[in-house]
Amino acid sequence: MPTATRMCVKASILYLILGAVLGAVLLINGWLPLGPAITYVKPAHVHFLVIGWLTQLILGVAWWLFPPMAFRLRGQDYPHGQAQRGSEPLFWVTFALLNAGVLLYALGEPLYAWTGAGPLGGLVALSGLCLFAAALSFVVNLWGRVRRLGRGKT
Amino acid sequence: MPPLARLYVRTAFVYLIGGFLLLALIALDDWLRISRWLGVATITQLHLLMVGWITQLAIGVAYWMFPRLLKKNNPNPHGSDALAWAVYICLNAGLVLRLAAEPFFRMTGQSWLAALVALSGVLQAAAAVGFGLLIWARIRPQE
Repeated sequence: MPTATRMCVKASILYLILGAVLGAVLLINGWLPLGPAITYVKPAHVHFLVIGWLTQLILGVAWWLFPPMAFRLRGQDYPHGQAQRGSEPLFWVTFALLNAGVLLYALGEPLYAWTGAGPLGGLVALSGLCLFAAALSFVVNLWGRVRRLGRGKT
Repeated sequence: MPPLARLYVRTAFVYLIGGFLLLALIALDDWLRISRWLGVATITQLHLLMVGWITQLAIGVAYWMFPRLLKKNNPNPHGSDALAWAVYICLNAGLVLRLAAEPFFRMTGQSWLAALVALSGVLQAAAAVGFGLLIWARIRPQE
């Protein structure tokens, strides 16, 4: 399992735990009211589980298991080692953008909903842009690996 | 695929069918007003699919496919069987309890039903922590 996958999977498991604990707190709040602010964490609960956990797990496992690159640049041999997986720096950019997006959203959205402060709305918008950029960079990086197994096959 | 992974995946399939069946019934209820229970079951149905289907499938496949523990240090290369069973039981007990209690809580607002729903959340959170403990050591380079 490559390093980038290990980081993605470990981060995704932390989000699973965080999201599930937030979910439990929300359900406990329905029984024993813990305070009016608790309900504001619901969007963070959803984002932690859908993006932080499931999406990030899928990204990490795809980086690990999808077929390696089959094409070569002019005058060069087929890629080998980690290069078969695509651009590792670009994958780290995806990882950073995805996690920045999730954390900015989890922090900014509840505070924005609670206070209505304009700059916090900007933070939420920035988190959306980070997630969009993460999705774009991932797809660009992995596009060439969605193919049949074997060299020269596309 | 080890037996417990098969159990996770088959249970996930059951939730897939159950979740979509409930989705169809809720859609029918929107049109024909079949039952008040269906009118308040949307959030529960969503959780059946997100947790019972997708998350449980991911857990089962991870338990099956992630690099195994080194045999010289661990007699069980998939990790602790007891912990894997505890995760399975907590996750599914939490989901079933939620399915049983949450729609009725939304209909009646009774405190003891709220306590059951809260307990279902605690069980699912315990399953998440247990899965983290179970799988963490297996997130490693393959030899």
